[in-house]
Amino acid sequence: MAAPGEYFSVGSQVSCRTCQEQRLQGEVVAFDYPSKMLALKCPSSSGKPNHADILLVNLQYVSEVEIINDRTETPPPLASLNVSKLANKARTEKEEKMSQAYAISAGVSLEGQQLFQTIHKTIKDCKWQEKNIVVMEDVVIAPPYQVENCKGKEGSALSHVRKIVEKHFRDVESQKVMQGSQAQQTQKEAALSS
Amino acid sequence: MHVCICAHTLLFVEESIQMSLDSLYATGSKCEVQVKNGSVYEGVFKTYSPKCDLVLDAAHRKPAESSLGPKREDILESILFKSSDFVMVQFKDMDTNYARRDAFTDSAIGVKVNGEHKEKDLEPWDGGETTTSEELEALETDVSNGWDPNDMFRYNEENYGIVSTYDSSLSSYTVPLERDNSEEFLKREARAAQLAEEIESSAQYKARVALENDDRTEEEKYTAVQRNASEREGHGVNTRESKYVPTGQRNRDVLSWGGGRQNSPRMGQSGSGPSISRSGSHTSDFSPNSGADQRVVNGGVPWPSPCPSPSSRPPSRYQSGPNSLPPRAATPTRPPSRPPSRPSRPPSHPSAHGSPAPVSTMPKRMSAEGPPRMSPKAQRHPRGHRVSTGRGTISSGLEFVSHNAPGEASTSAVARGSPSGGTWSSVVSGVPRLSPKTHRPRSPRQSNVGSTPAGPALSSPQAGTIPTESVAMPVPAASPTPASPASNRAVTPSSEAKDSRLQDQRQNSATGNKENAKPSEISPSLTKPENKGVSSVVSEHRKQIDDLKKFKNDFRLQPSSTPETVDQLLNKNREGEKSRDVIKEKTESNSKESIVETSSNANSNSGSSKSNSPSISPSTSSSSEQKRGPEVTSQGVQTSGPGSKQDKEDKEEKKDTSEQVRKSTLNPNAKEFNPRSFAQPKPSTTPTSPRPQAQPSPSMVGHQQPTPVYTQPVCFAPNMMYPVPVSPGVQPLYPIPMTPMPVNQAKTYRAVPNMPQQRQDQHHQSTMMHPASAAGPPIVATPPAYSTQYVTYSPQQFPNQPLVQHVPHYQSQHPHVYSPVIQGNTRMMAPPTHAQPGLVSSSATQYGAHEQTHAMYACPKIPYSKETGPSFYFAISTGSLAQQYAHPNATLHPHPPHPQPSATPTGQQQSQHAGSHPAPSPVQHHQHQAAQALHLANPQQQSAMYHAGLAPTPPSMTPGSNTQSPQNSFPTAQQTVFTIHPSHVQPAYTNPPHMAHVPQAHVQSGMVPSHPTAHAPMMLMTTQPPGGPQAAIAQSALQPIPVSTTTHFPYMTHPSGEECVRVRPRHFAVLLLGKTRPYLFCCSLNVTLT
Repeated sequence: MAAPGEYFSVGSQVSCRTCQEQRLQGEVVAFDYPSKMLALKCPSSSGKPNHADILLVNLQYVSEVEIINDRTETPPPLASLNVSKLANKARTEKEEKMSQAYAISAGVSLEGQQLFQTIHKTIKDCKWQEKNIVVMEDVVIAPPYQVENCKGKEGSALSHVRKIVEKHFRDVESQKVMQGSQAQQTQKEAALSS
Repeated sequence: MHVCICAHTLLFVEESIQMSLDSLYATGSKCEVQVKNGSVYEGVFKTYSPKCDLVLDAAHRKPAESSLGPKREDILESILFKSSDFVMVQFKDMDTNYARRDAFTDSAIGVKVNGEHKEKDLEPWDGGETTTSEELEALETDVSNGWDPNDMFRYNEENYGIVSTYDSSLSSYTVPLERDNSEEFLKREARAAQLAEEIESSAQYKARVALENDDRTEEEKYTAVQRNASEREGHGVNTRESKYVPTGQRNRDVLSWGGGRQNSPRMGQSGSGPSISRSGSHTSDFSPNSGADQRVVNGGVPWPSPCPSPSSRPPSRYQSGPNSLPPRAATPTRPPSRPPSRPSRPPSHPSAHGSPAPVSTMPKRMSAEGPPRMSPKAQRHPRGHRVSTGRGTISSGLEFVSHNAPGEASTSAVARGSPSGGTWSSVVSGVPRLSPKTHRPRSPRQSNVGSTPAGPALSSPQAGTIPTESVAMPVPAASPTPASPASNRAVTPSSEAKDSRLQDQRQNSATGNKENAKPSEISPSLTKPENKGVSSVVSEHRKQIDDLKKFKNDFRLQPSSTPETVDQLLNKNREGEKSRDVIKEKTESNSKESIVETSSNANSNSGSSKSNSPSISPSTSSSSEQKRGPEVTSQGVQTSGPGSKQDKEDKEEKKDTSEQVRKSTLNPNAKEFNPRSFAQPKPSTTPTSPRPQAQPSPSMVGHQQPTPVYTQPVCFAPNMMYPVPVSPGVQPLYPIPMTPMPVNQAKTYRAVPNMPQQRQDQHHQSTMMHPASAAGPPIVATPPAYSTQYVTYSPQQFPNQPLVQHVPHYQSQHPHVYSPVIQGNTRMMAPPTHAQPGLVSSSATQYGAHEQTHAMYACPKIPYSKETGPSFYFAISTGSLAQQYAHPNATLHPHPPHPQPSATPTGQQQSQHAGSHPAPSPVQHHQHQAAQALHLANPQQQSAMYHAGLAPTPPSMTPGSNTQSPQNSFPTAQQTVFTIHPSHVQPAYTNPPHMAHVPQAHVQSGMVPSHPTAHAPMMLMTTQPPGGPQAAIAQSALQPIPVSTTTHFPYMTHPSGEECVRVRPRHFAVLLLGKTRPYLFCCSLNVTLT
């Protein structure tokens, strides 16, 4: 619960430990003294470049706050935001989550959810209809969501969706294999090291 | 403190540190909130509070381990997390640049890229042992144009085993020339050589070759900075020449070049440097004796020989150099030259000569001027020319050279020597100089010119001593002074100092320059307008001269000026301008006449310039003007004298001079340049004109300044100005019609503001009448329909009868005029605040009491104009109202308001304050001077005037009419409130015309009559000012008004009866504002209370 200094200068590296004994470290993005909120920027958990994880830490529940290296330079000016863009994103995010929730609550299998995600990446016009995935109002994919299950009017749309589904499962398979091999390797290495 | 929360998209970014978390705006990204008890909630971040309470949309509690998404039942629409309840919020995979506004700016993109790409480490270059500094230097100095073909062949053969089939004889493309000694062959050879020479000596050929081989870069061609010869030389050495040079010329030219150079000592200095180096290269590369075969070979060789073609160059330089350079350099000078008309021409001449077109197209001219250079024989003529020119100091294209020469003691000798040299030599000498030193030639002229105005006057006694030179002098002198574009003058002084050809002139010039410099600085703007103003009306020179003389006399009178005198002056100025124009025309008048005219022009210009200066100190300026006037006249006389002397002189000289004169006449193109000067001057002038008026006492001085300075366009403004200072605005207005409409519009703005003020000044009814009359004529001049309609319009307004009909006419006929004007007004007004109601409120707060009043007024009008709702309207109304109110204030506290205007003489102030303040300032002054009390009396009228003035420049006329009409019909308007109402109505109507674009305007007009009560508030406003003259009356009138206003605006909490008149208007405004915008209302209330 120690409050370090009154200020964290933007850009400095700060580490701390939460009351859940979680270690946090990142670059100060912002700090609000009245609310004791500290925003840290950490490397993206997914490893994407140009992306970052932002942590908003409540310093009231944090201990061992350390400033690893301080930066005295004045931070760059904040960019103005495109608020409407943010609002749109918020809405779409919410809708996606809700639609997914609907599907999940309908008892869709994990494979089905994954497939839906995959299709949704390329074709925005897809939704859950009970347990069926409806793509472009034209193609219906029923459980168990295999290529054979793609039904609809013969045409480019159907064939296109089939390709996507086919590729999806192929990728899933390959991923499993990869994971398996990796697991084996790690085991071997562990054995060797021991 | 920067607080920034980023989600996938940047959730929040606030620019201002102050905002801190308060402004933290988070949206749209998925986030996980870890709560105190360790559980995690996931949702879409929606927002947060200043206390950092968070809101998540579509949030659900995230189970410890689950790859599955939440079920519908688990998701809550939104969850609010108290800031004290969560430990940490995690936004995963946020793109911090997602919502950046400037996502596509270079900097924004650069930010991304910089993160990803690491710059390569720079490694020092190691040439290794093999490279030596010598080798590197060799690279630097290598003149060769790439590989030698033979080297290429050898290299390919050695390294790749490829044997070239290249045959230097090009037998597969052409047939080798079989030489024999037969007569026929020799004949043919001689014939061929002759033809070649003819072709190559033709002007066209040279011009084309020059175009092709002009080795000057774009930069060199168009730059205003001329490089001196030495720099050039360096260039020539280093640059690899890749331009094609006719084979025949390569050898010959080189030789001739060298000879020519030797002959002309100057060659080396100016441009010869590069050529020499080239020539050297030539000789080395090519055998001087190259036979026909070699020619063929050379020609056939695709690779241009490293050595440039000297021969081609010289010509090119000569032509192209002069062409391109002089004209450009000349361009700036030209504008100045024009005003003088004839004198200006000489400067333009160089350009003409320089321009390639003249050479080819205009053989005659060439023969007279340019050709001499071209052909060796012709050169002699040029020499004579040069000499004469040198004496004359009139610089034509050729003269440049001569000028330079004269400046230096040995110039004449040089010129002569050059002819003796090879044909080219002369050309070369001339050319190089021209190209590198374009400035010089001009400068001498300029110096002469600059000196002349002052010089002649000073030198008048010396005139006798100055024989031929004087002739040339007068012209340039005239040109510089009248034209006196700032740029020219600025250039001239330096140049003058450097090159003064004639010692006598120099001496004169020295003094003259100083004097000139002053006027130039002050007057640049003014002078330019004059140039433009010149209406191409050809009148007799004599008359013009007489006019000019009169003008001079008038100038003296000006200081004492009454408005009438001012007008006269303006007219005279115009005449002078005309005369100048006339002069410009090719009519071959005696140099004397032209000189005189120019001198007179110069005088007028100088006067104008000085008049401008007066803005600073009017009294001083006036005195200076007077002084100058006489001086100028003296100059003119003197100049004429020398001219006559010249005539007596040798015929040759006369011819030269006459030729020069002709040349000058020949340059009609020079006029084209004027526009440039124009544009610049205008802005400066316009601001200046208002200033002088405001600052200087109401005396005529102010007027004078504007008139001389501004040409027709400018004149308009000045005219406008005139009316302002001068109570009887009628006369000033007359000149206005003369001026062209378009220009007027632009400048009218300024003028307009002044106008209203003036009108305010015109408290007396009689004065009002004058404006009306004045308005009438101008209207006619500009838009005939307008004027007529307008007249009718005003009367109708009073009766409150439907103005609609008139209005439509007004619109239809002069929509354009109005629209521009209005815009301009809006601009003027708008920037400050008036344009938008919201702005108005803010501005009101910011500005002093006067400004506040403006805002208030604007508001009141709003109700009326709500429907129409044009921003202009507000602006205009505000302006007028503001002025009115301001006036009352002024009356109450005459000094405070006045000081402000005086303090802000510049146009800037006007702009800042919006129309009202700036404009008022001058007016106020006048008013004060005239009669402070009076101001109050006619506030309404003034307001009306103001409206009109503000809205349309041409309308300036209208305002006058309006004012008149109301006053005429209701002479007692000031006293009686009711009478005031009509006046109010008028403004409303006037506004409609402004509004003309908007159909609603009609509605407004209709509205006015229907809602007399509504007008009441307006009336109150206006009435209050009138109260000023008669304080008691005004107050009483005010009280009733408030009542009416109250009825209209229940909001009005403050009884209008409150002490000060000022307060009331404000209250009204507040009330009005309250209706429209409570927000504004508050502001206004505060203001009023304070």
